[in-house]
Amino acid sequence: MTAAIEINKTEAEPSIGRRILSLAIEYNFIVIFLAVVVIASFLSENFLTFNNISNLFQQAAVVGVVAIGMTFVILTGNIDLSVGSLVAFTGMIVAVLMSNGMDPFLAVGATLIIGFGCGVLMGSISAIAQVPSFIVTLAGLVTFRGLTYLTTDGVPVSGLPPIFFTISSTMIPILPGFSVSSMAVIFVVLCIIAGLLLRLTVFGEYIFATGGNPEAARLSGLPTRRILVLVFGVSGLMSAIGGILLTSRLRIGQPTAAQGLELDAIAAVVLGGTSLFGGRGGVLGTFFAVMLLQVLRNIFNLLGLGSFYQMTVTGIIIIAAILLNRAIDIRKGRG
Amino acid sequence: MTNDARTVDVMNVRNVSKKFLPNIIALESASLSVRAGEVHCLLGANGAGKSTFLKIIAGAFAPTTGEIRIDGEKVTLHSPSQAAELGISMIYQELDLVPQLTVEQNMFLGHAPARWGVLDKASRRKRARQALARVGAAFEPSVRVGELSVANQQLTAIARALTREAKIIIMDEPSAALNETELEKVFEVIRELTVQGVAVLYVSHRLGELREIGDRVTVLRGGKTIETFDVEGTGDEALVGAILGTERKLIDRQDRPPVTGGVALKVESLRGEQGLHITDFDLHFGEVSGLTGLNGSGRTSFLKSLFGARPFVGNVTLFDKPFHPRNPSHAIRAGVGLVPENRKTEGLILDAPVYKNATLPSLRGSFLARHGAMKARAIPVLEQLSTKYGRPEQAVVQLSGGNQQKVVLTKWIVNGAKLLLLDEPSRGLDIGAKADLYELVTGLAQQGAAVLIASSELEELYSACDMIWVFHEGRNIAKYNPSVTDQDTILRSQILGGAQ
Repeated sequence: MTAAIEINKTEAEPSIGRRILSLAIEYNFIVIFLAVVVIASFLSENFLTFNNISNLFQQAAVVGVVAIGMTFVILTGNIDLSVGSLVAFTGMIVAVLMSNGMDPFLAVGATLIIGFGCGVLMGSISAIAQVPSFIVTLAGLVTFRGLTYLTTDGVPVSGLPPIFFTISSTMIPILPGFSVSSMAVIFVVLCIIAGLLLRLTVFGEYIFATGGNPEAARLSGLPTRRILVLVFGVSGLMSAIGGILLTSRLRIGQPTAAQGLELDAIAAVVLGGTSLFGGRGGVLGTFFAVMLLQVLRNIFNLLGLGSFYQMTVTGIIIIAAILLNRAIDIRKGRG
Repeated sequence: MTNDARTVDVMNVRNVSKKFLPNIIALESASLSVRAGEVHCLLGANGAGKSTFLKIIAGAFAPTTGEIRIDGEKVTLHSPSQAAELGISMIYQELDLVPQLTVEQNMFLGHAPARWGVLDKASRRKRARQALARVGAAFEPSVRVGELSVANQQLTAIARALTREAKIIIMDEPSAALNETELEKVFEVIRELTVQGVAVLYVSHRLGELREIGDRVTVLRGGKTIETFDVEGTGDEALVGAILGTERKLIDRQDRPPVTGGVALKVESLRGEQGLHITDFDLHFGEVSGLTGLNGSGRTSFLKSLFGARPFVGNVTLFDKPFHPRNPSHAIRAGVGLVPENRKTEGLILDAPVYKNATLPSLRGSFLARHGAMKARAIPVLEQLSTKYGRPEQAVVQLSGGNQQKVVLTKWIVNGAKLLLLDEPSRGLDIGAKADLYELVTGLAQQGAAVLIASSELEELYSACDMIWVFHEGRNIAKYNPSVTDQDTILRSQILGGAQ
């Protein structure tokens, strides 16, 4: 009975004010992001400078790129814990290949393929043997970190060709007097590609359907296993891009890098409104959440507060955002 | 008034209503009295307010207005556990048992006998045995619930209610998951309990059941209790009239034109899981065939095998070509569509919009998902099936059961399926929605589709099908043309397991 009445309710055209309100609720992460930006610009006059904004994007890029891949995985109701280790692993691979004299372009290409392959491997194990992805990628987390150390016995790799550094350090003019680093551009472009892929392609529809109800998707003839494998492949590929960007920015292959990065990526995806149960969410939310977390870090740095404050407040904000999303779910009757 | 137990009201509900903010009235005014030791049935179409009413009685919702008296005393129910303490126990349709736990653990979930926080297992075992004996259960309290049949799980749920000294047991459509013999067993238990003075509030769509078990029946329509009848001496027409209001519609045997289409599906032999062995089965274009049989007779297995969702070996011809689907997507490409038994867990992506659900199978092979084109394909079919929905972007979860089922059908029609397999399509639909569904399915057959409907509701198949196949223990044992066979013959064949 309630269903029937609710249908009538939605059939009536809502007023403009209501529509804006419901848009603000739907895209609450943008509202929160803008609020934090306003607060930040009051707290520090250095915040809204071109230089600082450019830095923000550059610092957010590695986590951001990885979080894009994580969004795909979480949309199917899975999780990928291996991304941090995979970033370090691929970051080392590209460094080792180049330090052994391989052409930088080839090395980058090979690294991307390896990253994609690692993801596909984990996805296949999870999908075909029907093992929860949590466990498979937890094993991946440990294994890839081990392999990372094994490549050079834990020693960083330096002496990389300078052309490799241009991947991260080229400044690209966007507005007169405002340039951003190529890393930021890569991050934003990948966000747009991923967003279009999810919204406009059949593959995107399949991801949402598989996450929403795997059994219904299978009985609708969707290749659900292949979708899972591909989604982990995307996550692996994004980790490889993250690894390449990281090594390019650090200018050395650092085996201890990117520890705990998986948690930052998962936090960003969930903060961006993507449901951990799958089927709902998107890259737009992830983008704003990554930037939000970066702005928070930035505020603390500008205020001279240490990382202990940062961690505490970041945790509280994540909880608050999740509670907000739960409240919205319940209001919409999806409790 | 005498003091005979049968005339004392254990529960008296007067004029309860339930409003959800801001302006949804789920229940307008409902009254009900339940006497000790009676089986009181509650009838009503989907959306009449039955579930809201039951939840109020069971303490899950607080009523907006009205009062509830138990043994003459006015009570305010704050929670299901408080209602249970007062002697009201609810057995939900999807049994709320924990399959991994044992029978006794389930029975005493939440009120396990304990001393100083330490479980008193001996006393629990003893009390569990007593309660199980009262419902005539033949299994041990130490068995895991997940290993029991649905009927035995039902008995466990009833026994659990007894351990809480229930005076009134509410049963929400217990028959939905039971076959006829299992249901008969549950009925015996109910009769035994009423002799002991326990009252049962029994909710069902099926008139036949309340004839068999009910003493009185209250009909709910549009959020109001319409009338309470004595079951004896009240005709079906009067009850159906009360359920439907002015719009009276019983499912009658439709006169069907003879089937003239060629053979669409031919099964020489098909062997599958759990002893499934089907031989010499055929289905023509334009034909609606029903599969009937007790639960576990292989109806669902057969449909799922044809749909590629269960492995099988054998010799099957579909549309004049050999057919051996290895997975659902093979079957779908060959022109098969399945409306699965459980539309919520298998048929639909509940949070996704109507138009996406309706076009999901037909996206195959394209790269771009063109939303405009998807809507343009879905909307005419949804309209053809007279599906009621707000906007195509609306989440399918907000639709009523009958309309959700139409969305599932739509996805196969949009995809151009020529063989439609329907597994218990009318489950959970009210009488009007059922009639609607069968009308629609026979309409599709007239346009040339071959339709196979598995159902435990023989009456429905009888009224709508050209041919009824009886399944028994994984085999097709008989087929009947309902226009020249009476229903009892088919029913006997179904229960006794042989051609009559």
